[in-house]
Amino acid sequence: MSTESETETGTADRGTTAPSSSINLESVRAVAKKDFQDSVRSWLFWGLSLFFFTLLVATTGVVSYFGEDIAAQGATTDVLVGFVSEITRLIIPLIALILGWKAIAGERESGSIKILLSLPHSRKDVLLGKLIGRSAVLSLSLTIGFVLAAAVVAVLLGGFDVGDYVGLLAVSILYGIAYTSIAVSLSSLTRSTTIAGAAMFGVFILFYVVWNALTSVASLLAERGIPFFETISYTTEMQGQEVELERLPDWVYFVVNLDPGEAYGRTLTLVTDTDMIELQAQLNEEMFGGDLPFFLQDWFALLILVFWIVVPIAVALYRFDRVDL
Amino acid sequence: MPAITVDGLTKTYGQTLALDDLSFEVEEGEVFGFLGPNGAGKSTTINVLLDFVRPTAGRVEVLGLDAQTHSREIRSRTGVLPEGYRTYERLTARQHLEFAMDSKGVDDDPQRLLERVDLADAIDKKAGGYSKGMAQRLMLAMALVGEPELLILDEPSTGLDPNGAREMREIVRQESERGATVFFSSHIMEQVEAVCDRVGILREGEMVAVDSVAGLRESVSDGTVLRVTVDRLDDDAIEAVRSLPDVSEATVESEAPPTLAVRVDGSKTDVLSALENQGLEVRDFSTSEASLEEVFQSYTTEVGAR
Repeated sequence: MSTESETETGTADRGTTAPSSSINLESVRAVAKKDFQDSVRSWLFWGLSLFFFTLLVATTGVVSYFGEDIAAQGATTDVLVGFVSEITRLIIPLIALILGWKAIAGERESGSIKILLSLPHSRKDVLLGKLIGRSAVLSLSLTIGFVLAAAVVAVLLGGFDVGDYVGLLAVSILYGIAYTSIAVSLSSLTRSTTIAGAAMFGVFILFYVVWNALTSVASLLAERGIPFFETISYTTEMQGQEVELERLPDWVYFVVNLDPGEAYGRTLTLVTDTDMIELQAQLNEEMFGGDLPFFLQDWFALLILVFWIVVPIAVALYRFDRVDL
Repeated sequence: MPAITVDGLTKTYGQTLALDDLSFEVEEGEVFGFLGPNGAGKSTTINVLLDFVRPTAGRVEVLGLDAQTHSREIRSRTGVLPEGYRTYERLTARQHLEFAMDSKGVDDDPQRLLERVDLADAIDKKAGGYSKGMAQRLMLAMALVGEPELLILDEPSTGLDPNGAREMREIVRQESERGATVFFSSHIMEQVEAVCDRVGILREGEMVAVDSVAGLRESVSDGTVLRVTVDRLDDDAIEAVRSLPDVSEATVESEAPPTLAVRVDGSKTDVLSALENQGLEVRDFSTSEASLEEVFQSYTTEVGAR
């Protein structure tokens, strides 16, 4: 106990002497460039580009083959965005976590961070440079895949909504950066790549399993009448009849919507006009008596994505300045 | 202004005391050898100089700047060869050097730098395939980028063969002539002997001696052994020698030829004069100095240090 409190005061003392921790954009650029060159083998980069290209082309193929009536309605890009986003929603976090998990922990474990920090970079420069470098790998491969696939998609589908297509690309990049920020930040909290890897797995479980189960768990608790989980009833029209239904309390929806994947889907409705996704939103409106609460509105989803970019890296920037390497 | 000032530096890791109230100064323009056995705290000290780790107590200034608050400026004016690093395996030597130049905002010639460390033929090879010695040469070249005012070299001979170690010392000499201050650590005494103006010996987180190599030799308790061959042996003469302030011991080493062995810390001439004043004829004399290894050991082992 006594040693712990000593460490605490030691940290506080150092805080007042403010370590040299400014951010220098030239340094950030140099680190990002180095990281981009070093972190990926070129085959991985081109492999990712090819993957996104194939994903788009294959989905387009399926849509154009089975979806003649969709094409007749002129909603082909809509459908493509809908399908592709369901897949990228699951795939992009995986890629980002894999690209980012060793970003800092790996360099600390191997000692190569001593090369970085022997040069005049602050630790903040290193973190931001890493975030940008790793984000660039994912963003550029996404862009290359999308751009190359654009021609094929246009030909196969006949019609092509540039707005929706670019919107999907832009939101996917944002989504990728959010997970890269989570990965790089967690990676900076430890000098063991094993722990960093476990943390990535934890994130995966958290958002793929735990978060997905939240609604069901909340419903179960609600059924048992546990306080704070009481359901709220609302009316809706079903096949011409007014029906009374029950929904979970607001805060459950709020928590569920903090999931970056959820935010990704909702932000897409903001920047694209994909009917498939918007249908979902209409349903929700009825549940809240016509007006969606602010946290279920699309602009708020964009905010959540930005939150997942800013907050993890901010925590890492604060903490990484204060540790021994 | 000293290039490095370490004042009352203490560093603990949990319960382990790595540095205990360490104080020393490195003068501008000198080559300072930072000597000590593995685990003595050399790397911890260097890590504090570079702000890799934060002191528990004490003050550290490098180039007149606080090592914590002005670390970026310190590192922009310093070339570092770290210890326990790993090169970026997918980058070539050229890319490593370009990164260093980019980071420091200076222009330099990768080809020329690599020629200096004898690695020019591997300039476009990826560092992943380098031997330990090649990686060490590359790191030395990175440290030299932009003619830094101060070089901090942590165990620079690691991984180098004797020839490479000699080349490294030659570079240290050149850099010193250019006007740079060089601070380098080693656990091998003979590596610092040839190039260092002064040597500091660290043991268990404390500086046990700071002096020139010659000064260190003299300060070691058993000092220099002076062997004097005389024409005859005389008890009074031996007593006279023993009574000299700098002499710790004087014994008869052999009867034929009559030879005295005298342990002396200061002037040897005094010993010879004392013998001659007693009417003895000095026929021959020789000195044998304490070997550097003995000096080092006497400072770094528990028994010898006291």
